[in-house]
Amino acid sequence: MAIKKGQFTIENLENVQINIGSVVSSGKAEEKEKAKGPTPAPDIHGLRDWDMRLLKRYEPVYSPICDMCCYCTYGKCDLTGNKEGACGINQEAHQAREAMLRTLTGASAHAGHGRHLLNHLIERFGADHPIDVGPTNIKAPVTQTVLGIKPETIGDFVPVLDYVEEQITQLLATTHIGQEGAAIDFESKALHAGMVDHVGMEVSDIIQISCFDMPKSQADAPLVDVGMGIIDSTKPVLLCIGHNVAAVTYIMDYMEEHDLFDKIELAAICCTAHDMTRVNPKAKVVGSLSKQLKYIRSGIPDLIIVDEQCIRADMMRETSKLHIPVIATNDKVMYGLPDRSKDDIDDIIRDLASGEQPGVLLFDYDKVGELAPKLVMKMAPIRKEIGITALPSDDEFRKLASSCTQCGACVIGCPQGLEIDKAMEAAVEGNLTLFEELHDKCIGCGRCDVECPKNIPVLDVIEKASQKVIREEKGKLRTGRGQVGDPEIREEGVNLVLGTTPGVVAIIGCPNYPDGSRDVYEIAEEMLQRSYIVVTSGCSAMDIGMFKDDEGKTLYERYGGGFRKGNLLNTGSCVSNAHITATTIKVAAIFAGRDITGNFEEIADYVMNRIGAVGLAWGGSTQKALSIGTGCNRLGIPVVLGPHGPKYRRAYPGKAYDKDKWNILDARDGSEHNVEPAPEHLLISAENKAELMPLLAKLCFRPGDNNLGRMIKLTHYIELSEKYLGVLPDDWHIYVRGEADLPLAKRGELLKILEEEHGWKIDWDKKKILEGPARKVDISFQPTNVPRLCKGASE
Amino acid sequence: MATIELDTTKNAVPFDKANIPGPKMAKPVQAEMAGKFISKAKRPLLIVGTAAGDEGVIEAVRSMAEKGIPVAATGSSLKRLKEEGIDATYVNLHALVSYLKDPDWKGFDGKGGYNTTIFLGHTYYYASQLMSTLKNFTKIKIISIDRHYHPNAQQSFGNLKPDDFLKALDIVVAQL
Ligand code: SF4
Ligand code: SF4
Ligand code: SF4
Repeated sequence: MAIKKGQFTIENLENVQINIGSVVSSGKAEEKEKAKGPTPAPDIHGLRDWDMRLLKRYEPVYSPICDMCCYCTYGKCDLTGNKEGACGINQEAHQAREAMLRTLTGASAHAGHGRHLLNHLIERFGADHPIDVGPTNIKAPVTQTVLGIKPETIGDFVPVLDYVEEQITQLLATTHIGQEGAAIDFESKALHAGMVDHVGMEVSDIIQISCFDMPKSQADAPLVDVGMGIIDSTKPVLLCIGHNVAAVTYIMDYMEEHDLFDKIELAAICCTAHDMTRVNPKAKVVGSLSKQLKYIRSGIPDLIIVDEQCIRADMMRETSKLHIPVIATNDKVMYGLPDRSKDDIDDIIRDLASGEQPGVLLFDYDKVGELAPKLVMKMAPIRKEIGITALPSDDEFRKLASSCTQCGACVIGCPQGLEIDKAMEAAVEGNLTLFEELHDKCIGCGRCDVECPKNIPVLDVIEKASQKVIREEKGKLRTGRGQVGDPEIREEGVNLVLGTTPGVVAIIGCPNYPDGSRDVYEIAEEMLQRSYIVVTSGCSAMDIGMFKDDEGKTLYERYGGGFRKGNLLNTGSCVSNAHITATTIKVAAIFAGRDITGNFEEIADYVMNRIGAVGLAWGGSTQKALSIGTGCNRLGIPVVLGPHGPKYRRAYPGKAYDKDKWNILDARDGSEHNVEPAPEHLLISAENKAELMPLLAKLCFRPGDNNLGRMIKLTHYIELSEKYLGVLPDDWHIYVRGEADLPLAKRGELLKILEEEHGWKIDWDKKKILEGPARKVDISFQPTNVPRLCKGASE
Repeated sequence: MATIELDTTKNAVPFDKANIPGPKMAKPVQAEMAGKFISKAKRPLLIVGTAAGDEGVIEAVRSMAEKGIPVAATGSSLKRLKEEGIDATYVNLHALVSYLKDPDWKGFDGKGGYNTTIFLGHTYYYASQLMSTLKNFTKIKIISIDRHYHPNAQQSFGNLKPDDFLKALDIVVAQL
């Protein structure tokens, strides 16, 4: 008999009554019993040893964005110069705490998203709904590695999210005054937060893939339109913004049932756009986060549906000016709006259409599904009739540009330091090119408007001036494919581990790029041409699809979407980033035969020493981008940030010159070996694309590379350095273990340099290196940083 | 001594308006004083960013390099410096501040760390953040001779017009 919640009396025992408050179907103890592996469901300290190994090599470096602490009423405390505050915490530990807290914020955003979706999907599809992510025996690789369990149904993820939430609570508790005091332990906690973030993301994406029948490891997932120029504004335009597709699926279902897809433009911004197109490729993608305010200001949307994450806080102020009603569907974003969930649809439509209410909360998704299409069709003619004009007319534009005094207040207020004053000046002369160039670099934040003493709506001016280029903003995006399937890993794993595929470059995160979105396209293109596997997701995945070659083709049209060298894979939305870490886990499992179950440390050790994967959050701005990156770091995957990255306050650069940091063990016998610094950094930033390119190639070196692999990786490192920095990198020789590591085309030239500049001994007849390298290549070498994994270890 | 009338201490407000780190912010410095300060430094390191390749700026880099100040070429500045025949070593700025923090780092020449860093030609917000590492965790002197006011330096020019910036660099160089 299943025990239910309630009161029970036991027959014949009249005075005994049992109260059952809640029933946990699979209790924690039971879960723990099911879990397997050396470290199933680790608590905060469970993987601390591994963290300390990482942090000893990659010592954290802090770059405070504020020198003070204002956490408690003892403060503010001035911590400048690593001073201690009134509670005893010093600057270093405080900065570590700040970075950890941001990581945790990111992790909780994904986990909160996952929990909302899981509750919703269990109610809609049942807890027994099977997980189906495509051809794989490892359905939830991150979950299996961290928790030591193998979920089969979506209900199996309930205890997984319980674990994630418990860790988040415990971690958050440590930020309270009088808890953790050591920077190094805040770092270990941040790494823990990053790891649980990947679990939370994995849950979120697997359940939606399984329930909404999104592409399942599909290399040829459909291509969809992307860009501000793709929307047919003669039709009613329904714009969705956010990350949680739950409510929007009801709109799509309703539109399908009523044949409305050719009557309404259904479009979205941010990850809801990714996930909508994964559910139904008829939906359109306007673009990334930086397009949000720009697109609202265009006045084109007739109705906006918001869910959660990365939605502008000034939404209601912006939309009400333009008579665009807003429907908020998730309790994370409610804007002070009235909850109309229980009201009649026609009444809600009436109040929104009349403008009596600028927006409503609607948590009944059946109602959202029906109301949104009806309302948008009603709004479009109403808005036309009122004559909503969003951007300035030509005349107004000239007047606004002429009223600019070139005071520069907007430039100082602009996070990108864009030279708006000069563009205004040029515009007065009739030259719009400066504005057109500025438009791509502009992140659409609206700070310039706020700062202008002349009250010029600067962003509107930028957008008006750029209408010609905006109309041309039409690209293609391959919809999110989800995980990488086992057959693909089986085929490609060997190339990746041996290095004949030079590496995986994962371009992820937000659009806070230093020099416009074209960068990510160019980075992807260069690495694809060099046969790297380029994986992408989120906003970056959209921006990569925005540019075309001479034949008018985007990268998604030019390159395949499989897990193969020279392919471009879009995994999907933010939460699909878990599939990137999952892919490296799968390589360890399938190619190397490692048991991943509850075995995080061993797998991370394998990934760090064997798999040449590097993450790039070139425009990373959100806390989520930090937690995604930090999760990659704990799994041994290095990450590069753009020049805004140091604002995250902490990085993990390596010190190549400190030889002691690069000792690793050979698992065959536990012997210690001093190796080349590979990967050199765990978390680092670069100033611009030119600096970034060789760095990406360098961070794909691994101690486990064989000769052919090292030769290929070295070739790209040298070529990219010569191309972008104009020189042979000054550290190329430390990656040479023998002549077979040298790029073929340059072998003679490089041997000469080794002899003349580095004093190596060369046998010129045989073109062999006799003396010089720090170590020789040994194909059976089994690099590890974990003593217990060595043969004969007692640990 | 060059006597160009130019006040480089005006307009000493962070170029990113909200970039106010705390009670300790750079002292605005006159170009002549900056030059003198640099010329007296025992172990100076000129740290240049990509904009050091700009016309007018590269000449200042050359002059300082010729006076024997070692040049750390960060970002993608090295390409232009090499084209101009200026001796410099590429280093990632984020990595460099971590090296500078390390008392055991032997510097680019193996002779030990540096006691004065001179910043020029950087992406503003990037350099500002990484100066904050040096400011908070080292005793190294930080002087910015870049175009915009850097609160995390110890001494910095105020925000300068492009022409004034180049004049200021001339004054600095004249002191060496
Ligand atoms: S938490 Fe500590 S350092 Fe921060 S304000 Fe309070 S006493 Fe000062
Ligand atoms: S909206 Fe664009 S131009 Fe204006 S401050 Fe933001 S990034 Fe700068
Ligand atoms: S703040 Fe306004 S007036 Fe001043 S430069 Fe910018 S747009 Fe012109």
